Amino acid sequence: MNLRQKQITLAAMTGLSISVALAGCATDTAGSAEAETVPTSSSGSSSSSSSDSSTTDSSTTDSSSTDSSSSDSSASTYTDGTYEATGSYTSPNGQEEIDVSITLESDIITAVTVTPEATNPNSVNYQTQFADGIAAVVVGEDIDEISVSRVAGSSLTSGGFNEAVEAIKAEAS
Amino acid sequence: MSAQAAEPAPERFDFEAIGTRWQIETPAGAPLSPTVRDEVLARIDRFDEAYSRFRPDSLVARLAGGAGTVSFPDDAPPLFELYDRLVAATHGAVDPLVGAELELLGYDASYSLAPASAERRAAADARGRAHWTGDVVRKGGTVTTERPVVIDVGAAGKGYLVDLVTELLAGHGVDEVVVDGSGDIRHRGATPIRIGLEHPLQPGKAIGVATLQNASLCASASNRRVWGDGLHHILDARTGSPAREVIATWVIAADTALADGLATALFFTGAHELAKTFHFSYVRMYADGRAERSRDFPGELFT
Repeated sequence: MNLRQKQITLAAMTGLSISVALAGCATDTAGSAEAETVPTSSSGSSSSSSSDSSTTDSSTTDSSSTDSSSSDSSASTYTDGTYEATGSYTSPNGQEEIDVSITLESDIITAVTVTPEATNPNSVNYQTQFADGIAAVVVGEDIDEISVSRVAGSSLTSGGFNEAVEAIKAEAS
Repeated sequence: MSAQAAEPAPERFDFEAIGTRWQIETPAGAPLSPTVRDEVLARIDRFDEAYSRFRPDSLVARLAGGAGTVSFPDDAPPLFELYDRLVAATHGAVDPLVGAELELLGYDASYSLAPASAERRAAADARGRAHWTGDVVRKGGTVTTERPVVIDVGAAGKGYLVDLVTELLAGHGVDEVVVDGSGDIRHRGATPIRIGLEHPLQPGKAIGVATLQNASLCASASNRRVWGDGLHHILDARTGSPAREVIATWVIAADTALADGLATALFFTGAHELAKTFHFSYVRMYADGRAERSRDFPGELFT
């Protein structure tokens, strides 16, 4: 979406894999700040487990191998520190800004803060709602066991569509 | 869980329409009358007659036949206006003229389900893609085009129809109801309902639960309406290619048309971007198994 974003995938202690769009150290205002903030997993012990945690759940993400080196001992891809960026966008209420701050230790994100800077009340509302959208690996649970009255997924297909698919399968086999 | 065995079962009206299954649920002891049921079916059929690209006699089919002007029914302007906003907010990723691309991939009236021949594809490329914002002129419900266009209201049409059916029922005093057009759900009433968010890759499983009351929840996923390697029905209108990274979305909004349209839009456009134009809460699941939600989404995800 914007120019200088780097996708870093880091493994948290829990085995969750969390991906955050990090807007470099740039101080310019290019692009929008579309950041998913994550609940920071107890930052105290995360630095000590940094070197091996990224290898424990390589199965859950494939992007980690491409864009971040496995954080072996000394060779961190990113310099430790706190990075801040301001994104701006044009809302129906005019120009609005959002600040993102990320703290890195040995390529592990130990803190994420998203600060809505909007002044218009509507924009404040939207920003705070979306500022801390979270992204985490989800697991399936049996529908029979979660006490719901109905289920929402993609639309069930009609008989005609299903027959057509079956016909194609038959032809192809 | 602790449902009492003595609790009476709600009344359900099940039927198949516009290519999918529907269910209208009302409280125990308050079934829809046969007259109301007939009216519901007739209303849906009237919508289908106008907007289905799967019916050769539809108004949409007339515009696919060539240049001309077609006047859609009174229910058209709100739907077309929603599309205007969706097209703008997604920078063209959602476009009702995506119908031509769906047909080229084989999702056509005869369910040929085979991509067009190289010649047909080349001819289509030579003509260039038609766009809602340049190739049709709309005044209210009247659409004029200089070339054949295939309108597909798949992104928001079914949700809108759920709203129309709900309004019809309200006119008959039915105000405790769930209208479920297979994934496009509207709730009215004093008792909230819990809805499982179906796992797009694991049949019989859910990735979370939403609580819905006096609002609409729409789901969109690329796991059904699949007819070949990577071929499914959610296309980026700018490229004509099926979405890849996002595999399922759920949106809660004040009405079903909006929730439906945004559920499609979220396949291509970030929530933050869409929130500049629309008010909604959402869950979005990616191909790598992660899911993202807005903080105000009423429900939980299983992590």
